[in-house]
Amino acid sequence: MLYTSESIEQLAAAFGQLPGIGRKTAHRLALHILKLPREDVDVLARALVDVKEKVRYCSVCANITENDPCAICASPKRDRSVICVVEEPNDVMAIEKTNEYRGLYHVLGGALSPLDGIGPEDLRITELLRRLETQPTDEIILALNPNVEGEATTLYLTRLLKPVGIRLTRIARGLPVGSDLEFADEATLSRAIEGRIAL
Amino acid sequence: MRLRNVRLVHFRNHAETAFTCSPDVNVFVGKNGEGKTNILEGISYLCLTKSFFAASDATALQLGTEAFTAQGSFEAADGLTFDTVVSYQGAERRKVMTVNGQAPESMAAMVGQFPVVILSPENSNITFGGPGDRRRFVDLVISQASRGYLEDLLEYRRVLRQRNRILADNRERPGSVTAALEPWTESLVNCGARIVARRIRFVQEFEPEVRTAFGRVAAVNEAPALEYRGTVELNGDASPDAVRSAFARSVERVAPQEQRAGLTLVGPHRDELGMTINDLELRGYASQGQHKTFLVALKLAEVAFLRERCREAPILLLDDVVSELDPERATRLLTEASSLGQTFITATEATMFDRTYGATGYRRFSVRAGQVTADE
Ligand SMILES: Nc1ncnc2c1ncn2[C@@H]1O[C@H](COP(=O)(O)OP(=O)(O)O)[C@@H](O)[C@H]1O
Ligand SMILES: [Mg+2]
Ligand SMILES: [Zn+2]
Repeated sequence: MLYTSESIEQLAAAFGQLPGIGRKTAHRLALHILKLPREDVDVLARALVDVKEKVRYCSVCANITENDPCAICASPKRDRSVICVVEEPNDVMAIEKTNEYRGLYHVLGGALSPLDGIGPEDLRITELLRRLETQPTDEIILALNPNVEGEATTLYLTRLLKPVGIRLTRIARGLPVGSDLEFADEATLSRAIEGRIAL
Repeated sequence: MRLRNVRLVHFRNHAETAFTCSPDVNVFVGKNGEGKTNILEGISYLCLTKSFFAASDATALQLGTEAFTAQGSFEAADGLTFDTVVSYQGAERRKVMTVNGQAPESMAAMVGQFPVVILSPENSNITFGGPGDRRRFVDLVISQASRGYLEDLLEYRRVLRQRNRILADNRERPGSVTAALEPWTESLVNCGARIVARRIRFVQEFEPEVRTAFGRVAAVNEAPALEYRGTVELNGDASPDAVRSAFARSVERVAPQEQRAGLTLVGPHRDELGMTINDLELRGYASQGQHKTFLVALKLAEVAFLRERCREAPILLLDDVVSELDPERATRLLTEASSLGQTFITATEATMFDRTYGATGYRRFSVRAGQVTADE
């Protein structure tokens, strides 16, 4: 395959960096962009830059937001006595979609994974502990991904938080093994949240 | 389980091969290097989603082509049909499987759906090779019989790599790692204990099958035995809970050695399946003939074991067994095989089969340079 345009190659290479996009798909996307009307391309380009410029992390829960604190942390309707600990902002969105959960969140920013060089100090664990000191909390729900790294992180947090004396639960392992929270369907996820297990 | 037909496209030296199978014995005859083993490998892809000997999918892609496809129609004991397709794209290194047009939840979920037992020359390392070769054998049998087991194995392998990384990174600083190690040790013990307990139960259930099969293929009266030799010290009780506490104690005991070695030293990844005949270790004491009889007995036992667990007779793939075994053992194996279910056999000549099954008692194919033709 020989492409004559360096710009196309550059765009394809950029797409190829994205998760889940292979070489062929990257080229198909690049050629698709070429065919789009100019205005559509502007909208796309603007949206890409806006994401980077406007979106920040909530200073309370570390969820992504354009206003700090985020809408969930700022809402008077949320139950401030429960904190659900998740790995990524995606997981917040997945749980919010179930419309079941009324508490707050804490986004760790990942899970323990020595192979990727991620230890406890690379997650927002200190921030969680500080939050517990200042904000009266009745329950912490650990809702990490049902995989090896999520499991180890759950075990780590359990050891750390047990002595604090707050009710500690984890979502039931009703999720298919190896799947991410993000991909769990809403019914499964609400069942998992209802059927959480005390630790 | 029976295969009705098989089609291979750009698979090894098969540009396009398609054939209709006999529900009983199928024999592929051809000279060395013509593509007979490749056919069995294709069937292995259909049953296990992977090769039974090659570690990478890329090597099965016909040189100079972009994608291979293995396709087959399975018929289960209850009459249901499963049209199965496994394809692999070289450029994207992507393997996709569909069963009746649907993608299964995962590749691992497919293992055991189409049970298969393979006897090939590589298998001699089950009795001749190291402990890892025997663990692989045990793991493949149990994985086909129990879905959760394969998931545990995959999980354990990942936990082990994570835990070993911490140990390796902190070899110079013993004592400093305990807190970081704790969650990984707990995961290792939880998951590893399930594996060890299942393997111990497997050996108990499997050994009688091996003894029976051995008696049928061996010429002389000998007593084969299996023994699970674990690195976790158990005192008799092999229930999952007992194994878990014993495992936790073992890890604690070897902690200093582990920190020095930078490696996880106890657990199912270090366990051994002992094999003996008349109380003598196969490795080191048994004759070539005894090794071969033991191997054949293991495979026949595997058929019996899977038939019971999967409620489905496994498909039997026999690669080059006639040249590997002496005529007497080969005849016994072939006679047994034909009564066990659908069988696919490769050989360099057909005489043995005519003698064992009669000239019309099996379906014969000729294989030449990646082309398969049914003999009439
Ligand atoms: N990826 C591949 N592409 C093309 N030919 C291959 C590939 N891998 C192996 N072969 C060829 O397949 C032949 C071996 O086939 P095999 O089934 O092992 O033979 P046998 O009939 O002896 O069992 C060899 O000629 C080898 O060159
Ligand atoms: Mg061969
Ligand atoms: Zn927030």
